[in-house]
Parts: sequence; structure tokens; C-alpha cells
Amino acid sequence: MTMVPRDDRRPLVEMRDMSVSFGGVHAVEDVSIDLFPGEILGLVGGNGAGKSTLVKTLAGAQTADSGEILIDGKPATIATPRDAKGYGIETIYQTLALADNQDAPSNMFLGRELLTRWGTLDDSAMEDATRKIMGRLNPKFQNFKKPVNSLSGGQRQSVAIARAVHFNARILIMDEPTAALGPAETEQVRQLMRQLKAEGIGIIMISHDIHDVYDLADRISVMLQGRLVGTVNRSDVTMDEVLAMIIIGKLPGEITSSELEQLHG
Amino acid sequence: MSVVEASPAQTKTVEPGPRRSVGAFLRDNEIDTRMVGMIVVLLVIWVGFHFLSGGTFITPRNLWNLSVQTSSIAIMASGMVLVIVSRNIDLSVGSMVGTVGMVMAMLQVEWLPPLMGRGNSWIWVVTLALGLVLGAAIGAFQGSIVAYVGVPSFIVTLGGLLVWRGFAWLTASGRTIAPMDVNFQLLGGGARGSIGDTGSWILGGIGCVGIIALLVMGRRRRRKFGFRLRPTWLDVVLGVLGCAVVLGAVWVMSSYYLPENLARAYAEEKGIPWPEGGLLVPYGIAYPVLILLGVTLVMAFVTNRLRFGRYVFSIGGNPEAADLAGIKTKRTIVKTFMVMGMLVAVSAAVSIARLNAAVSGLGTLNELYVIAAAVIGGTSLLGGIGTIPGAILGALVMQSLQSGMVLIGVGAPVQDVALGIVLVTAVAIDTTYRRRAAR
Amino acid sequence: MKRRLWALVAVIALLIAACGGEEGGDTTEGGTDTTEAGATTTAAEGGATTTASADGDCVVGMSWNNYNEERWAKHDEPAIMAALEAGGCEYIQSDAGSSEEQQITDVENLIAQGADVVIILAQNTQAILPAVQGATDQGIPVIAYDRLIEDANTFYVSFDNVLVGQLMAEVIYDLVPTGNYIVLKGNGSDANSDFLREGIGAVIDAAVDAGDITIVAEDYTDNWDPGLAQTQVDQWLTQANDDVQAIVSENDGMATGAAAALDARGLLGEVALSGQDADVAALNRVALGTQAVSVWKDARALGTAAGEAAVQLAGGASLADVEGTGEFVYTNKETQAETVLTSILLTPIPITQDNLNEVVDAEWIAVEELCAGGATAGPCAG
Repeated sequence: MTMVPRDDRRPLVEMRDMSVSFGGVHAVEDVSIDLFPGEILGLVGGNGAGKSTLVKTLAGAQTADSGEILIDGKPATIATPRDAKGYGIETIYQTLALADNQDAPSNMFLGRELLTRWGTLDDSAMEDATRKIMGRLNPKFQNFKKPVNSLSGGQRQSVAIARAVHFNARILIMDEPTAALGPAETEQVRQLMRQLKAEGIGIIMISHDIHDVYDLADRISVMLQGRLVGTVNRSDVTMDEVLAMIIIGKLPGEITSSELEQLHG
Repeated sequence: MSVVEASPAQTKTVEPGPRRSVGAFLRDNEIDTRMVGMIVVLLVIWVGFHFLSGGTFITPRNLWNLSVQTSSIAIMASGMVLVIVSRNIDLSVGSMVGTVGMVMAMLQVEWLPPLMGRGNSWIWVVTLALGLVLGAAIGAFQGSIVAYVGVPSFIVTLGGLLVWRGFAWLTASGRTIAPMDVNFQLLGGGARGSIGDTGSWILGGIGCVGIIALLVMGRRRRRKFGFRLRPTWLDVVLGVLGCAVVLGAVWVMSSYYLPENLARAYAEEKGIPWPEGGLLVPYGIAYPVLILLGVTLVMAFVTNRLRFGRYVFSIGGNPEAADLAGIKTKRTIVKTFMVMGMLVAVSAAVSIARLNAAVSGLGTLNELYVIAAAVIGGTSLLGGIGTIPGAILGALVMQSLQSGMVLIGVGAPVQDVALGIVLVTAVAIDTTYRRRAAR
Repeated sequence: MKRRLWALVAVIALLIAACGGEEGGDTTEGGTDTTEAGATTTAAEGGATTTASADGDCVVGMSWNNYNEERWAKHDEPAIMAALEAGGCEYIQSDAGSSEEQQITDVENLIAQGADVVIILAQNTQAILPAVQGATDQGIPVIAYDRLIEDANTFYVSFDNVLVGQLMAEVIYDLVPTGNYIVLKGNGSDANSDFLREGIGAVIDAAVDAGDITIVAEDYTDNWDPGLAQTQVDQWLTQANDDVQAIVSENDGMATGAAAALDARGLLGEVALSGQDADVAALNRVALGTQAVSVWKDARALGTAAGEAAVQLAGGASLADVEGTGEFVYTNKETQAETVLTSILLTPIPITQDNLNEVVDAEWIAVEELCAGGATAGPCAG
């Protein structure tokens, strides 16, 4: 339920009436959200709200039982991760989805390896490309040959982000991007997100950190127990009102000030 | 842009500090320290047995025998690496050797001669081809159950261990089939099963050139991309060592001469008059060893240079990540079992050719030796880690121990105990080493 | 994809069921039993009965240790079954897949299925004792087939294995009275390996003591495995620098391995080689002159003797009443304990180039198989 459209550009992504259930449990029920180019959409909600499941349908890691997805206004079929990548959708999972025993270049190009003209792996080209990308994002990164499980959390995160960014993503899904990071690295990620936003990329950001979301997001969609509570412009609401949406499930217009106070215990 | 000041990617070698360990040095220059360790262990074993046997171990004859004895397990060990790396296991390889070996024996002795004519020189080719097909089919069958039906590979191949042992018996009703086709026999080594010295030296030369070419191309590629180079002296040392090993091995194989009566027969065959001092006819590299080398090169290539190999390792490292990256994991798993099946067929061919007979108990317990070889060679049973050359070395280490013990007269039960202790020790060292490296 | 896979599995299952019992295809689903571990007991045609009576309706259970050797299905089993059928008894069997524990379970199962007599080919002569005790307690006679069981209550039917060793050694000693010997022994936990060694020793010990014969290498071979035997001989020849004049191999399977090792050094036919079992490959080698002797134990005679004894025992006869028995005193080499066994010991026949026609006449082997590869000795001439 969109309150006020930001502008009347066509949305980059529209997800309409998405439903996913697992054996009788409705993980996602009739949820509709959209994403415009150059904006960050914060997707928030408590545990079991269904946020991850919803974005997985967009990422191709989960099939929806019903609903449709439109990219640039046109219906899109996203059955596998490869399909999603074909539409320019890149995902950074909460677990990062890195192959621990492989080095950074191999992970960057996992599933999309660069080949020599004889069809063999072109490791040097992949290492070269990785050096260039990481040079832009995280110049201190030097461990191109070591398996990624020997890297720090922040370094692993930067590999995951670099992977998502490198392949000309137009739509970026970030699931808890700063959860495992320290302050300096968190700030780096935020800067990056702002920069990507400025480049016209649309970002869906799942986070449980209300401060992060409030800082970065342009609009916020709140889910509760599989349903969409509502979507609001960040500039129109206070943090408490967002909290109320998350915890109680009431929209800003419906909530009383005493209920708002109760949120703080 | 990031708030942290950007600095250009470094292209020069970092000056080594005074206290860097040998291990760190090797690792920085992309030399597998584990492999180096294993080679040292192998040399220690060889030298040890040489003294214990009164100077018989490090002789051309014994080393030639050793190379042939190692072949059949080593061939399969290279395939087992891929299976274990992708977080599976194949307990059925010994029984598969039985079935495929028996079928190949029946083909060349009973089924094909009526169709192709007795003594047809193509019989061995058809036999081997059909054996490969059968091995691949069995592998694909088991792999499909693992990948598509979802039964754990331990269970599927445990079932296979029983089923294929039964089929091995059924193929010939338990009979021993002997002897093999005249040309097929050569695959097992033996008096006429090697390529002579000329062929061996040519191959040795090619090998040496190949090693140097790889090192040169590696340097060139790094320079092109501006990566850090290995110190020149190190590359030269590696090249010299590599060539020395290859040419040294060829020299050993070519120093093993036919025993006199066989040499006489050879001379007669070739119409050479028998000279006064006797005729030295070198064996050269045995065919099974040649096959092993070929298999090693192909498997190493597949693992390092093809996407298939990369995917196998990715699945082993993080199956979910591989899926999300769009890798067709199920198809890849089936392929690993198919490759294993084909290598089983090659190994079975070598085994029955060497014994010049097929018995229904062929290959019994092979799976244990194959898995042990892969594990001693550095493959982790948790998946994601392993090398082909390591597995070959692992098989060589085990066979050296076993053959060495027989040579010095150590009884059979003691041999089993020793091999078991070595296996556990190797894995224990490996685990500690990995843990320390991870810190 | 899944459906196709299940169809494939179903087809294979049908094939397995259909392909049972290749040899003779008579009474047993022999094929489905030949699995490595976890064997099944199968019923003979007509299903197993549960009770037996003294008036000819008897059931005899056969516990195989491992169906894997060529001779069991080809020779022993058909003879046993024929003798049982002639005596009006039913045949049920089990295969323990080389597992000692499994064999104990098998024996219990056979008794539970109504066996009046149990014939046991023991995987391990010590480990089987509890099963024998159990049978004896239930009043069920036990026949020890081919391999001795150290229990005075068992009926021992075998070839005189010490004699087998003696006969093979005699042929070799005749050919090589002085020189270097290799002795290739069988499975360490098989009492037969030591019986054979005893017989071999009876022939050559004097020469060894006198220094005429030197045994340069001697060891057991796990599971009588031919491949292992080949590797062992490879190594021993290396250590002895090929200076070996005779290899006494305790059976033909290992002789095949020894032959391959000799062939690789061009010594095939120059080193005297022995074996036992008279299997096809070995007899062929005898005809070609590359193996000096294979001691033939007509397993059919053994099977017949065991079957006939089983019939008599099932009919209520006591051990001593069975026809043709004698006493065999077994001395345990470790404990020196003596066990007196009621036994039938058959006489083995050493087959050399001089008496090949015996195996042909007895229809043990076909002439084409015997003479393959251009042999010209004996019945192959002409």
C-alpha cells in the first residue's frame, strides 16, 4: 500500500501480490512493493516477517506460489538465480554465499567465469579484473590468492559487494549488509550505497537496525507475519512510528500517542 | 568513492623481512608446502627401505615394479579426489572394478572373438571402450540417485559395494577367466608392456620442455597483468628440479633391462645376432604407468583449467553458494561419479591385464586404499580441499610402504597395522597443520 | 526425472530376480546370495519346511563361508544337492560373505528353518565354535565341510589337506631337489594353510635342514588373493635377484598371480610351480608346461560324501555309524590340545602332465579349455 509516490517515473521493480507458503505456513501473503531507480527501499520487520523470503523470490532463490514481478514495467519470469542476474538483479545474502575454499577472484566470477579462447578458465584475467574492482571499493584489500575463509568479516563483505556491483547490477538486494561489520566498515558500506544510489541503481535493503534504515532509506516497507503493513516515505515518519509499524502493525495515522510511548517500555 | 584514501594496486614484490619462514616464503610464491612435505616423506621412506633391504629398494627393477604396482590404485585415487571434494564418497569402487573387470575379461575371451574373429587386433580396443562405457553408466546411475533422488552418497555407494560385487560373480558364475587377449595384456606392464628407452626419453624430453614452458608462460602472464612475479632464481630452481625429476625417472625406467632369457627372445624376434657381452634391452616406462601419467595430466587439467573442476570445488566449499551462483550442482555431481566410473574401468583394465586373469574377487577392498591415498594426499573428508598430484603421491607413499615391507620380509598382518597407523598419522598431521595455518 | 529413475531401479530389481542361479539354474537362487556382507538364506524350490521326521522327509542346511571361489558353485554344491536329493532330503543354504559373525547367524537361521543336519564350510575354525555348540545342544549334527572345526562333536569331511601339501611338494621336490624355494601360503586364519604347510614340510624339511633347499621367502596371503600373491612374488624375486628355482603355491588362484610375476621376468616354465584345486587356468598351465602340478580334489566326491553322510545323520544315525568313517586326531599347534574327530578323508590326486587324461575323462574339464593356447601334452596331442 503505497502512500505517496515519490515521482511518476516508472518503477524499476514492481512486485504484486506475492505469496509464498511452506506447507500451510504463509511466509509471505499478498505483498506488493516496488522500487524506483536511484532509491533505497528499506524492508523491515521482526523475525519471521517474511522479508528474506520475499526478496528471495526476486533473487531467483525461491519460487513464489502466486503473484507477479515486473521489471521496467514488463512481466519477468525469475525461476533461478541466473534468471535474476539476467535482469540485472544482484543479491548480497546475509550469509554472503561465498565459496569458502576459493579465493576472491574465483568468488567474484563464480558461475560466470572468464574463459580463454580455448574454453579454459582465464584465472589471470579474473584476478586482474578483481584487483581493479577491489581497488575502487577497498584499496587495502590485498589477499587475492588466499581462500576467503581466511579473510575478516569486512573483507568478505567487500568481496560479496564487489561481486554484486561488478556485473552492472541495476537492482541490488542487500540482506543485513552491516550486521557483521565494525563501525569503520559500516560507514564504508553506507558510503558505497549512497554512491550506487546516485548512479541510479535501486537498492532493497533488509535490516533490523532501525537507525541504519532511517539513515539510508528513502522509503520504508514494513512487513509483519507475512503481510505488508505499509510503505511510507522516510521523510514523512518518525522512528517511533516506524517501530510501531514493525511491532504493532499499525500505520502512523492509526496509532495513538500512548501506544507510541508504550513502545519504549 | 570510499572515504579511505585510495592507493594504486601494488605491482612490485614486497621486500621480505629478515624473519620470514620457509613455509611462508613457499606459500607466497604459490608452492604447495604440503606437497613438498609429502615428497620429503616419500624420500625418507625410500631411503629407509633401501638401507633395511640391503640396497634393493632404490634399484631400477624395484622402482619399475613399484610404478606398475601403484598404477591401478592411483588411477582411481585421482577420481576419488573430485568425489570427496564435492562432499561425497564412493565406497563401491572396489566392487565396480570387479564387475567392469569381469565384463571386460568375458568380452575379450568369450564374447567378442566369435563376433570379431579370434585374435583380431582390435579386440582390446573394443573391450576397453565398452568397459569405459559400462563404468560411466554405473557411475552415472549411482550419481543420479545421489544428486536427484537425494540419497546420501555413503548409502548409495554402500549399496553399490554389495550389488556390484554380486554382479562380478554373476558375470562368469564365479569362474576365473584367463588368459587375456594378447594385446590387452600389454596394458598391465610385464615383459612386453613398456615403451622402451627411445620412447621414454622422448616423453621425458617433452615433459621437461612442458614444465619449462609452463613456468615461462606463467611468468609472462603475470608480467602482462602486472602481478607480482616469483623471484627469477626460484623459477629457475623449479625448472631445474622439475626436469631433473622427469629425466631422472626416465633414466631409472630405462636402466631396467630385460632378463637374459627375455632379451634373447627379443633378439631372436628382431633378428639381431646375439652379441658377446649380452644385449641390454631397456624396459622403459611401463604402459600402466603411461596410462597413469596421462590420467594425472587430464585430471589435473580438468580440475584446474575447466569450469567443471572449479564447480566441483565450489560445491565442496559451499553448496548453497554454488547453487545461488547459478551452477548446475546436480549435473556436476553426476559428472563426478561418471568420471570416477570411467577411471574404475581404466584401473580394472590395468589390473586384469597385469594378473592376466580376472577373478570374481577382483578389486576387493580397493575402495579403502583409494580413499586412503586421496586422504593421505591432502583431500579433506569434509570437502572442498584436495589435489590430484597429492592423491597420486598418496598412492605412491602407501604402495612404497607395502612393497617395501614385503621386500624386507615383514609379515602380512604387520603390514596392515603399519598402513593403518600411517593413514591416521597423515590425517592427524594434516588436521593440525590446517588448524595452525588458519590462525 | 525422478519417475524415470524409479522405473530404472524397478527394471534393475527385476533383472536381478530373473537372473538368479546361472549354474544349472536348479534349486537355488544362487545369484542373489553372492553379496559381500549381510547374506540371506534362500529357500530351495518349493519353499522351506519347518519340521522334519525320521521317515525320509529331512532338511539339510548348508552354510557357505563365501561363495566367491569357482569350485563351490561349479562342483561342490551340485554334488551335495544330488546326494541329498537321492536320499530324499531337502537342501537349504546360506552365504556368510566372509564374515565370521554372519556365519553364526546363518547357522542359527538354518536351524530355525528346520534343518535336521547342518553342513558348515567355516570361515574361521575358532569363531564358528559357538554356532556348533548351539547346534549340538539342540541335538542337530554338524558336518565340518573341507575345513576343520575343533569340536569333537563335529563330523569332519575333507580331503586330507596335509596329504595335499605333501603331494604337491613331492612333485616339486622331484623336479628341484636342491635350490631356492618360495612358499606362498594362503589366508592366515584358515587352518588349511597350516595343514598344507605341514604336508609340504614333511617332504622338504629334511632337505632344508641339510642345506640343500633354502626357503628364501615364505608368507601368508590375505584372502588367498591372486593380485596380492603377484605383488609378493614380484618383491621376493627382486630381493632374491631371480635366483629362485621353485614356488610352492598352496592354491591355484595364488599360482595365477605367481605365474604372472614369473612371466614378467621371463621365468615362466623355468621355475617349478605348484597349486591346488585343479581350476581351469591352472590345468591349462599344467598342459602348457608352466605349472608342474595342481592337486585335484574332486570336489564332487567331497560333496557326495558330505551329502550322503548328511542323509544318514538326518535319519538318526550317530556319528560313528556313518559309512566309511575313520578317526582323525587333530593337534592344535598352539595349545597342543588334541581333538579326536570322526571323519571321512578323501584322497586327493596330483595332476601333472602325465595324467591329464584323468581330469578329462572324469568330465572335470573340457579338452578345448585344457588345451587352449597350443598345448600339446597328454590328451592335447594331435
